[in-house]
Order: sequence, then C-alpha cells, then structure tokens
Amino acid sequence: MKPVLLIAINFAREQRWPILTLLLWVLLLAVLGLVTDIHRQREDLLFVFKQDAIYVLAFSIFFGGSAIYNERRSRRILGVLSKAVGRQQYLSGLVLGVTLACAVYCFILGLTGSWTLGETGFPILHIWFLMVCLVAACMLAGTVALMFSTFLNPFFAAGATAMVLGLPALAGSIFGPQWGYVIPVWELGATVVNSSFGSPGTASWFPVVLAGAETLAFWLLSARIFARVDIAVAVE
Amino acid sequence: MRFALEFEQVTKEYRSFASKRRLRALDDFSLTVEAGEIFGFLGPNGAGKSTAIHLAMGFMRPTRGAGRMLGDRFGHPATRRRVGFLAESVALYHRRAERLVRFYGALNGMGGTHLANRAREVLEIVGLQDDANRNAGKFSRGMLQRVGLAQAMVNDPELLILDEPTSALDPLARVMVRELLLGARNAGKTIFLSSHLLSEVELVCDRVAVLHRGRLARLGRTADLLKVGEQTEIVARAIAAKHFDGAVARDGIVSFSVPAHMQRAALEKVWNLGGEVVSVNPLRRSLEDIFLEVTADPQSPSSGVVR
Repeated sequence: MKPVLLIAINFAREQRWPILTLLLWVLLLAVLGLVTDIHRQREDLLFVFKQDAIYVLAFSIFFGGSAIYNERRSRRILGVLSKAVGRQQYLSGLVLGVTLACAVYCFILGLTGSWTLGETGFPILHIWFLMVCLVAACMLAGTVALMFSTFLNPFFAAGATAMVLGLPALAGSIFGPQWGYVIPVWELGATVVNSSFGSPGTASWFPVVLAGAETLAFWLLSARIFARVDIAVAVE
Repeated sequence: MRFALEFEQVTKEYRSFASKRRLRALDDFSLTVEAGEIFGFLGPNGAGKSTAIHLAMGFMRPTRGAGRMLGDRFGHPATRRRVGFLAESVALYHRRAERLVRFYGALNGMGGTHLANRAREVLEIVGLQDDANRNAGKFSRGMLQRVGLAQAMVNDPELLILDEPTSALDPLARVMVRELLLGARNAGKTIFLSSHLLSEVELVCDRVAVLHRGRLARLGRTADLLKVGEQTEIVARAIAAKHFDGAVARDGIVSFSVPAHMQRAALEKVWNLGGEVVSVNPLRRSLEDIFLEVTADPQSPSSGVVR
C-alpha cells in the first residue's frame, strides 16, 4: 500500500500547476461572492459553480489519459518500476493520484460553494453530496482514460474515453434513462449540472456506488493490459 | 554456482504496429552472470544491450526464452527490492536530491531514520552531500547521473545493474565510480555494467561479454580475452629495427613481439647488438581491439530486420 500512496502523492504533486490553474477558477467563484450582491447574483454564482465542476471532469480525463504517456516519454517510469513496485500497484497509484488531484479541487470548490451558494439558500449538505458525485465521476473517468492510455497516445485515449463515457448518455436519451447508468459518469455530471435553487436534486447514492464498482472493473482491465505492455519501448 | 543473472535462449522482437515489420533486438541470447563479479556488457549501439537489461528488469517481456534474476523469474517485483538499477538516460522527478533518493528508497519498502541516514550516506558517496537540498531539475547531466547512482544504491542492493553509469561524468567522478564498483564487489555485490567506455570496463570487470546484432559475439574473463597467445612484447633502444622481424621504430625506441619461448634469445640478441632493453611484457590486446574485431567481422552474428 505504501508504494501506491507514494506514487499517488507524487502524481498529484506533478500535476500541481494544472490543479492550481483550475483553482483560480474556483477563486473566481469566491471573488464573485465577495464583490457582488450575493443574493441578486445567485443564479450566476450557481452557473460558475457548475462550470467549475465540469472543468474538473475534463481534467480527470486529461490527467488519466496522459499519465502513462508522460511517464514513459520522460522515462521516469523506469526509475519507479525498477523498484519493488508491481505494475498493478503502479496503476493503482495513478488512479489514486488522479482521484486525489480531483478531490483536492472538489474540496476547495465545495468550500467556496458552501460559502457563496450556502449564503443564498442552497442546501450546504447537498453541495457536499454533489462534490462526492463529482469525485466519483472523476475517479471513473480518469480510470477509463488511464485504461486507454496503456495502449493509446493521450489524444486517442481522450477520444476513446469521451466515446465510452458518452455512449451510455446517448443510449439513455434514445432508449430510456436506465441506459445512462451503464457507465454513470454522465449521470453523475448531470446531477451537478441539473441542480438549481428551485430543485437542488435528490441525493441518490446508487450512481456513486456504481462508479466505485466500475472503477474497480476498469482498473482490473487496465492492469491486465498494462501487464503485457513493453514500457521501455519508445512511445509512438 | 549461484548466478545473479541468467538469460536462457532469449529472443526479443519489436513489432511495428503499422508496417508489421519485426526487428530482432536479441536472438537466442544466453548468458549467466556469477554472483560477486563485475560483469562488463559491451556492444555497439543497437546491439541489444539495453533490451537485455530491460528484459531483466521486467520492463518488457521476451518473445521467446526466459531468464532469472537473483533466482526469480525476470520482472518479479519483490526481487527488485534486492536490485539497484540505473538507466542509460537518467530521468528523475524535479525534487530536492535527498527527497528524491528517499522517495526511491521508500518505493523499496525502506523508511524512518534508516532511510534518511542511508539517503545522506549514498549522496555523500557520490559526492553530492553539499547539493542534497538542491532541486534535481536544476542539476547538470553529470550530477543527475550521480543522483541516479545514489538512488540505485539506496537499498544496498545485492545486484547493481548499471546502463552507461559514467557517460556524463568527468574523469574525477569516473575514478569515484570505479572505486565504488570495486568496493561493492569486495563487499560481495554483483555488478552488471553496460558501457561504451572500454578502458573503464577493462580496469574493473572480471568478465566481459560483447554483444553484436543481438547475439553473443565474445564472452570470457577479461584477462583471458586480452591475452594474445604466448607472445611477448620487447621494447628496446640503441638498436636498429632491421635486426628483428616486424619491429617498429619510433623516436629511437624499437618495439617488437616474439613467441614466449624465444624471449631469452631475443633479449640476448638486443644486448649483443649493444642495445638496451626498456621493457618486456606479455603481449596484450585492448578491449577496443576486440570490440573493433567483433563489429567489423562479416561472419559475426547477424540478425537485424527479419521481416
């Protein structure tokens, strides 16, 4: 477990600049809360909050899709895997690292959201529930991207991930909402996007638990693929 | 005999996804490295040296064949706890040197004050004690190579696998590495050293293998490989070169070689001619001679692109 934590923390540390850039947007939310008439501008605040929430989903795909590629291209992966670290542990570290990076962002977003939106009547508990949904969605999206990145370059990995995550949503709109839960990233994102002051939404834990289970499944699949990959070969 | 490293008929082919061509980097390659020796692994660029090392470390899987490192199959994570590895191009995270060495030590299950002390100790060994708190991202190539060596040694490994460990080092640092390797061997460690610096290899390695086009072209004890039959080289002055077959004169010094059993007669001839003997030594080749011989030989193993 120790190598997994070390790799995760190291990964989050390596992503500190993108995370800090994202956090600037969150700070914008806080600044808006400070300088505006918070009660009159509450719809705008909620819009910025949702926008910030969706950004982190896109970043989780970016983090997951480029993690292995960057490590292989820089050859830093050789230093890590020359130690007593199995490839499954390495992937676990990356999944945890992506989740950790997104969780840090979501925590700050939750704090500023509680302060600004909470002041205007949005239920604070529900804000934190939305943050849990967001972290679960990021964890799953990042793991799917990581799986594709074990054999594709980041550009194709991101495209393939978007397709895999988007298809259930498309099926859901055509064949019925239950299809949206096949890979529930879209559903979890929709929970955040569809919340409003009038109807903050209901707290259903089913997609969160499902996302956790599917993260495990995709991690296992990634590990099977990654175990067969020649990591010292130049990345195409 | 206990082997630190064993390759058993290992073949490795790289396949291009687009063109379906295959490049055979290693071809039916077998080799054993004995515990407690410094083993030199030589070969021109593209000979398959790094491929062999990466297979041993478990970074890739052989197309055919198998191998064992410290008794376990290649790529066994727990075995790597007893191994130190330095890659050809050192790539490290941008962190303070001491933190970096501790990070790699922790990945090997080390921790606490033992790790902290050991990190400081290895940084001192590689001469970076004054730079321990500097960010490795701002280091020169030579300094990065030293940090790389430090991280490879932090777990006090039984087997050190070093891919070009001195390529970016200045002469002083090379001497330091040479002493470090000899010290490690005296402490019972095994060192597998891949290098293009043939003079360094000649000085420290007990045995040497030369790889060419994915196959083993030469293997043996360094001293045996360098010996040229039973020949003696005689260097003399104050005589003319014409008195000895194959003698070469330069700046008044004449050098020639004779079979060992004719050494006494040749020396007496020098003295009878009024000459002065400067030196008498068994004739030796250099590793460079062997290296050039192997790589220039059209009969040497070939593989390359097979389809």
